[in-house]
Amino acid sequence: MGHVKEINVLIIVFTEMRDKLRKWREDNHRNSEQIVDVGEELINEHASKLGDDIWIIYEQVMIAALDCSRDDLAWTCLQELKKQFPGSQRVKRLAGMRLEALEKYEDASKQYDSILQDDPTNTAARKRKISILKAQGKSAEAIRELNEYLEQFVGDQEAWHELSELYINEHDYGKAAFCLEELMMTNPHNHLYCEQYAEVKYTQGGLENLELSRKYFAQALKLNNGNMRALFGLYMSASHIAASPKVNATVKKANVKYAAWATNQINRAYQLAGRGTKENKCSVKAVEEMLESMQITMS
Amino acid sequence: MSWRRWLAMGEVELSCLAYVKMYLHACLFPRCSVNGLLLSSSPAGGAVCVTDCVPLLHTHLPLAPITQLALTQVDVWCAQTQQRIVGYYQANACVSDSSPTPCALKIADKIAEQCNNAVLLMIDGGKMSPDYRVPPIVMYERKDTRWTLKDKHTIMLRQWEETRDIASQLLDSGDHSLLVDFDSHLDDITRDWTNQKLNAKIAELASPANGNV
Repeated sequence: MGHVKEINVLIIVFTEMRDKLRKWREDNHRNSEQIVDVGEELINEHASKLGDDIWIIYEQVMIAALDCSRDDLAWTCLQELKKQFPGSQRVKRLAGMRLEALEKYEDASKQYDSILQDDPTNTAARKRKISILKAQGKSAEAIRELNEYLEQFVGDQEAWHELSELYINEHDYGKAAFCLEELMMTNPHNHLYCEQYAEVKYTQGGLENLELSRKYFAQALKLNNGNMRALFGLYMSASHIAASPKVNATVKKANVKYAAWATNQINRAYQLAGRGTKENKCSVKAVEEMLESMQITMS
Repeated sequence: MSWRRWLAMGEVELSCLAYVKMYLHACLFPRCSVNGLLLSSSPAGGAVCVTDCVPLLHTHLPLAPITQLALTQVDVWCAQTQQRIVGYYQANACVSDSSPTPCALKIADKIAEQCNNAVLLMIDGGKMSPDYRVPPIVMYERKDTRWTLKDKHTIMLRQWEETRDIASQLLDSGDHSLLVDFDSHLDDITRDWTNQKLNAKIAELASPANGNV
């Protein structure tokens, strides 16, 4: 009887591990240390029970292993995949990623070039080539290649977002804003894009951009009222507009109201957060004082 | 036995607490550029003693709103706790490049307005592995209007080996995930960016009871 119970427990543990890996795959989590932990055990102890799932798990674990400098594990996974899928482009790409992890960028690039020779529309290989440029610090080239890529594959959200990040790092806020506009158009309910767009506009500065930033911080809040960055952003942009000598009394009054509303919300949020936890006293108090110190007066 | 000597002008001392948190911040977000503020609880004038740090961001370092917000909040906290902002640190995502970015220079300039011997510290990602025997940091100071490299002999890290070991220990035990930067705080405002919990852990490891002086 005890024997059967033992096996049942093992099965439960195994299914939990397999389901965890699946969830992380579906959510595109990059929690590589955890994936390696769970995945390595699964592969070593339970390979036979995984059925066809094993191949996608090998791929997932391999990529995570590269992230954790576990070349031994990555190599093992790669060999299994090579055996099972000889000549596969997908496996070739994984081999390329391993070369990247080893900083053998020229070899990796050649690998991707050979994929593209057979299949010029292979987006994965093209994006890996751009990632190599990024890893080498060649931002200008990465930006150029990514722009070319997007002319062909205009619907690739991930690429648009990557491009916006590259532009932000180059302080090219106008172009970053353009990328985020594309993303907002195709993802109107995504509060993060609104909020990032607002941050870029705020950074660009000037009254017009500040007003735009305030609008988009407000929009982000509408889509997700828990977005603290958007809430603080609304407070700051409204405060700056109200304090500007270029605005008329009506605009000033309206922005003072927005700022006051935001202050209220911020205070409430921090009070709720601070409830019962002693260690938050520092942050909560700091916020209260900060809001006080940033207060603009209506003249 | 104490071999403490007085710091001379132009020298900078980096405390164990400040170094460990900075280092762990960089380790926690290996794929991102990270930055933070260096604080001092010593009075102004004379040498700079960096006694603590506040990790700030791991996303969108060049964007203004959150940086401004963080600077204001840390300013207020410093006033409440008798500390001053005396510098800025950054670790670039691209490990092969440890030079200050335009946004690093901008923020450091701002800090220098209030603190005339402010320091700019870059963490050298390529030298962070445990087998490196010197601290993986490069410091800059402001001479006229430009940030120039500081002579590494003017940077004091007391008990470097113990400090380095404490950082390694916290990494191994997974406790580095206790570290909260300002970005993480905004994701979940119940998390404490002053890192009281982690500070306590570091103090424990650094105490004489653990064989460290």
